[in-house]
Amino acid sequence: MFDKLKSTSPSDRVMDSKAAEPALSAPSVGASQQPAGKAAVIGAGIKVSGEISGNENILIEGRVDGRISLSGNDVTIGRTGQVMADVIAKTIRVAGEVSGDLTAKERVVISGTGNVHGNVVAPRVVLEDGAIFKGSIDMDPGDAAVKELAASKAAGKANGVTSHAAATNPATTASSAAAHEAGNKAPDLALKGG
Amino acid sequence: MSIAVDSSAEAASTVAARTPIASRQVSKVLPQLFDLQDDSRLTVLEIGRALPETVRFFSSIRCKIHIADLYSELRDGKLDRNATGKSLERCFQEQLALPAGTRLDVCLLWDFPHYLDEKQLRAFSRALWPWLHPETRAFVYGVHSGATILLNREYGIFDAQTISIRPRSDAALPCSPHPQSFLNEWLTCLSVSRGILLADGKVECLMRTRN
Repeated sequence: MFDKLKSTSPSDRVMDSKAAEPALSAPSVGASQQPAGKAAVIGAGIKVSGEISGNENILIEGRVDGRISLSGNDVTIGRTGQVMADVIAKTIRVAGEVSGDLTAKERVVISGTGNVHGNVVAPRVVLEDGAIFKGSIDMDPGDAAVKELAASKAAGKANGVTSHAAATNPATTASSAAAHEAGNKAPDLALKGG
Repeated sequence: MSIAVDSSAEAASTVAARTPIASRQVSKVLPQLFDLQDDSRLTVLEIGRALPETVRFFSSIRCKIHIADLYSELRDGKLDRNATGKSLERCFQEQLALPAGTRLDVCLLWDFPHYLDEKQLRAFSRALWPWLHPETRAFVYGVHSGATILLNREYGIFDAQTISIRPRSDAALPCSPHPQSFLNEWLTCLSVSRGILLADGKVECLMRTRN
C-alpha cells in the first residue's frame, strides 16, 4: 500500500521524523486486529494529516488527523493507532484511540483496548470488556431484527414468560464480520493533504 | 406511588469467572422503562460508564444512547463540587453534552444521585429538565433509609428484565444515601411513580417527568 502512498506528491503526506524505516514494514498486530483480506497499513511511526479515501481496507497503527472515508471497506485502528478524525467505513474496528465520529454501514466494534470519544452511527455496535467510550451511539438494527424481537416478545407473552432481548441478538465479535473481500478489489487509496 | 417488598429479586447469580460482571439482579422496574411500541425509536441517557452488556441490549432496538459517565467526571474533578447555582448547573450541562433538540425517553441514573448533595442534585435536575418530555422515564436506585450502605458498584442492562452489577475498579466516591423523601424533593425534574424495596435496603425506583 505504501507503494501507492509513495506515488502521491510529497506534499500530500506528513511523516514524523521517526517514520522513515519502520513505515514500510507492517507492524505486528494481534489476530483480532487484523482486517480481513488485503489491507493498507499506516505504520506506528507514520503521521497522516488530511483525508484518506479510496476502496481498500486499511489498518492504522500510526496517527491520522483529518478524515477517513472508505465507505465500502474496513477500517481497523490498531492498538497503537491514534485517530483524530471522523471515520466513514463499512466496518470499523477500534483497538486504539479515536477522537471523532464513527459512521459504519455494517458495524462498529470497540475492543477492550479501544478508547473512543465521539459519536457512533451504525446498525450494530459491539463494545468489548474494558473498552472506554464517551459520546453517543445511534443504532438501527433494521426491520428484520426489530420484527424478530417483537415476535420473540409476543411469543414470550403467549407462553407466559418474558422475552430475552439478548438471546435474540447475541453479541458478535469483530472476527465474525471478517468475510469482507476487499482483497479482490483493486487497491486505490488516496491521501489529501490537510 | 407504590412500594412493594421483593426479597427474591436480589438473588444474584454468579456468572462465569472470565466476565467481570459480579452478579445479575432480576428487576421488576426495568421492563417498564421499555414498554414502548415496537416501531418506536428510543433516546436513552446513560449516566454511567458504557458497559458491553448495555450496548448489546440496546443493539436490538432502534435507539440512540447518550453516554455521559458522570461518575468519572465527579472522580476526575470535572464537576466542581464547590460551584454554586447557575455555574453548577452549567457544569452538569457541559458534562451531559446533549445535542440541541434531544428528547430523552429513558434516563438510567442508577445510584448517581446519592453521590451528590442537595445543592448539586437540584442543579443536576435543572440541567436535565430541558431534555425531558412528559413521557420520559428514569431508573434510579433509592434507599430505604439514610443508613443503607451503597457499595461501590456500576450497573448495566443485561436484558429487559435483568440488571448487571459490577464492582468498580476505581476508588469509591464520597456517598451519602438520600432517603426516598429527600430524593423525591431534591431531584426536582422527576417524581417516583413506583418503588420496589430490595433485601439490601436499596429501592428500585421508576421515575417519571414531574408535572
